[in-house]
Amino acid sequence: MSEINYHEDHGAVEGAPLVELVDVRAAYGTIEVLHGINLSVPQGAVVALLGPNGAGKSTILKVVSGLLQPTSGEVRLAGRVVNGVSADELARIGLCTIPEGRGIFPNLTVRENLWMATMAGVSLAEVEEIAYERFPRLGERRKQLAGTMSGGEQQMLSMARALSVNPSVLLLDELSMGLAPLVVANLYEIVAQVSQEGVSILVSEQFARTVLGIAQYAAIVLHGTITRVGTPAELEDELSAAYLGS
Amino acid sequence: MQTFLQYTILGLAIGGSYFIAASGLVVTYTTSGIFNFAQGAIAMLAVFTYWQFRWGWNWPAPLALLMVLGVLAPLLGALLYQIVMKNLRGTSEVTKIIVPIGVMLGFQALATWIWNPTSSTPRQFQKFFGANAFVHFGDIKVSWHEIIAFVIAIVIAAGIRLLFVRTRSGVAMRAVVDDPELLQLNGGRPERLAMISWAGGSFLAALAGILIQPMIGSAMSAGQLTLLVIDAFAAAMFGRLRSLPRTFAGALVIGLTTTYVIAYFPSKWTWASSFRNSLPMIFLFIVLIVLPQDRLRGATVLRLRERFRMPSIRTAWIAGLVLMIVVFCLKVIMERTAVNTLTLALTFAIIALSLVLLTGFAGEINLAALSFGAIAVIVVYHFGTSGSGAEARTTLWGILLAAVVTALVGAVIALPALRLRGLYLALATMAFGVFVSRMVLTERNERDIFGLKFTIFTAGQLTIPKPKIGPFDFNSPDAFLFLCAGLFVVIGIGMVYLRHSGYGRRLAAMKDSPAASATLGMSVIRLKLSIFMMSAAIAGIGGVMMAAQIGTVNSDRFDILLSLSLMMITVVGGIGYISGALFAGIFLIAFVQMLDLTLKKFAVDYSSLEAIFMFFVSAVTVLPATIGITMGKNPSGAVSDIVEGLDQIKQSKPLMFTLIGLEAAIWALTATEVITNWHFVILTLINLLIVPVVGGKIVIARMMRGVPKPIPPELIGIDRPFTAEDLAEMDHALNLEGVVIPSAGTVREEASGVSA
Repeated sequence: MSEINYHEDHGAVEGAPLVELVDVRAAYGTIEVLHGINLSVPQGAVVALLGPNGAGKSTILKVVSGLLQPTSGEVRLAGRVVNGVSADELARIGLCTIPEGRGIFPNLTVRENLWMATMAGVSLAEVEEIAYERFPRLGERRKQLAGTMSGGEQQMLSMARALSVNPSVLLLDELSMGLAPLVVANLYEIVAQVSQEGVSILVSEQFARTVLGIAQYAAIVLHGTITRVGTPAELEDELSAAYLGS
Repeated sequence: MQTFLQYTILGLAIGGSYFIAASGLVVTYTTSGIFNFAQGAIAMLAVFTYWQFRWGWNWPAPLALLMVLGVLAPLLGALLYQIVMKNLRGTSEVTKIIVPIGVMLGFQALATWIWNPTSSTPRQFQKFFGANAFVHFGDIKVSWHEIIAFVIAIVIAAGIRLLFVRTRSGVAMRAVVDDPELLQLNGGRPERLAMISWAGGSFLAALAGILIQPMIGSAMSAGQLTLLVIDAFAAAMFGRLRSLPRTFAGALVIGLTTTYVIAYFPSKWTWASSFRNSLPMIFLFIVLIVLPQDRLRGATVLRLRERFRMPSIRTAWIAGLVLMIVVFCLKVIMERTAVNTLTLALTFAIIALSLVLLTGFAGEINLAALSFGAIAVIVVYHFGTSGSGAEARTTLWGILLAAVVTALVGAVIALPALRLRGLYLALATMAFGVFVSRMVLTERNERDIFGLKFTIFTAGQLTIPKPKIGPFDFNSPDAFLFLCAGLFVVIGIGMVYLRHSGYGRRLAAMKDSPAASATLGMSVIRLKLSIFMMSAAIAGIGGVMMAAQIGTVNSDRFDILLSLSLMMITVVGGIGYISGALFAGIFLIAFVQMLDLTLKKFAVDYSSLEAIFMFFVSAVTVLPATIGITMGKNPSGAVSDIVEGLDQIKQSKPLMFTLIGLEAAIWALTATEVITNWHFVILTLINLLIVPVVGGKIVIARMMRGVPKPIPPELIGIDRPFTAEDLAEMDHALNLEGVVIPSAGTVREEASGVSA
């Protein structure tokens, strides 16, 4: 628990956690949905956000990715405050987000989808090489419209982007949604490999079991606050309580 | 053979220009999801600006071209996106259609303002390298201009194709349509891409305009060039707003057929030139018909910014009564001409009711309300009058017949469009409207239709007498005023009844989700058809009343641009409200005319300031469009603001009595001729518009004083602990009073019991 508490020394960029949220509040219109979130993701760690539907997991990821600006508090990347920085700028400096429900463009071909990933500053040849090597299926379908592929293949495509842009931070929102258990297991295996390469990963997941196997830390999100942070083993008992809402 | 080649080349050149305009439409639609109705208006502005530089100020052609195509047109497109179109995200399809139409009408008014169409010297617009720059291929003479037009079209087709497939920015422009947020997460800048594409679209429109103006060979006309866009619409529809090759093919087909019609139709076919002008509309209609069926949507509930409330039936009766009283009071103090203006405004309000019914209640769009009016007027003129000379009257049967015929025509128009929604239906009705203007209302020759000698639009104008229904003669202006007011009230109240009926609820359901309605067993087709017919009939009745008020109408009265203005102002007023229709009629006819007259009066009274007042007279012509453009920011319409203001007044009796008392006093002063009608109008405006808004704010401020800001229920328990009151209220809301909830412990035991 102590390892991932937020650090007091504001100036220290060296050794600071890669992603840090300090007392972050966020709202959709007038309705506040995050009520003071404190969270940090150390370098190379996988942190899982767990909690029932509507708890605020996706909103936390939206705030970190820059799609939703916090109403108060600070979001820091590698020790620097990034409040007010737009999502596309964050993407270009090494933050990769896979949004909920397949992060692909359905009316572009597989290759064109990968092309869009190059805006983060890598070459298309590089992206294609990594993507097709990891997922040969995508190589076979490079000229097919992404929207016509199966759900699993679409998720492969979005993962391929995450792998090939070489990010420092990876945000994954509900990776398992609507996919077969085998596919999910396969995807999380890849996530684990990515984290071993030193990428910090923040992942939200409604179905806790699938992610706890690879996460170093987990945070339970309930009603827009983080109620508990710890290692998966520590949290085992509390999970069922969190989901049943007692 | 020589004729054939000559016209083929001309057709290819014109088709090529259509393609350039259409490709601009495709580019902007692809990246921003907004169909740019103003494409033709941009082309028109470019043509006039180029004329100004090139021949007005005698600039050399390259400089004028650089200025118009390289600087002004892209700048205009970028600004349009930044200032207007960007705000359209999250608005309904109607708003997305109305705002570009507002831009179109605004540009049109602006051009008429700057380049006075009645100017004494006709504006000459010449081909590139002059009118006599020809190349000879054997016997055939081809102007350089035509060659340039066709070559540029091919270059642009290839260029855009390359852009969209071979460049990252181009692919990103396509990605924006799929998911702008995801593009941002990839590191792209969707706003900038959309702005660039609008700049490009505007450039293409300008280029098309400059190429096509000298080839259509008529004098420069703002209206004609603006409607040129419809030719481009048709071409863009060939490619379903996506495919450029098909758009190219479509543009060439349209360009060639129109020139072949000129070349080969026998000259005794007097309708050939109307037919040529209507061809793009006919193409557009056919293409829309053969378009594959629109998927029934409903999976995602759109969170729209529009909100409409429906008045109760009691409120509707009270409002109707109030309107009749107000009209009576106004009649007492008003001059004859003002009564006429008010009557005309009410007839437009009736036509606008048809739009409220169709768009506000059912979510379908008709951009050619006045064209249905025109058809009703033709029917009444031929079959619905009795007596002659001063004794001529429109009969009740004539009006009813006109309503039936327009309803049937409405059905014919709607039938193919039933499979379509939103934009496509809007375009189909617009094509119909322009078709009526160009083909039907230009029919001044006697024709042999079904063995009947018949002239549709006799001598270019039709005289419609005032109606006489049973023993009631509505020939006097006062009586006709009350007839129109009464008709508005009756139809309005009828619509409120309709909205509260099962049928009305089905309409609302269909508007929200056609898919859900279909799965619940409703016949969406029957529903759409019936509402379209009803709406057309109302527009027809309104059109007859309008013609009867004016007396003698020519085809300009049913112009498509007027239909578009009416639709736009109704949306501004609030397309979901009966009062939105009233607002539209009053604003479009009475208010604009009043401003115009007031300013002109001031210009005469204070002659030293004449220039300034005359400037504002011109500015008034741009006013409705300007208001239409602001819809992106307030999609629920003006009426909703006023209604909210009035609502607050109802909360505060003193304020309400002040308002009514003040208005009664103003009226009494006017009736006794202490103050003039001008003062009455101005004081009333101040009283009715400003008092509610300001007063409402004061009331709210007073009510809010000392009351703590309410916490939204979902935050209770987080921002402050639950009180017994909160819990009781929540139980009440969930209907759980008296239900004993087992404690959390028992739940967990039960749960583990199940798993074991």
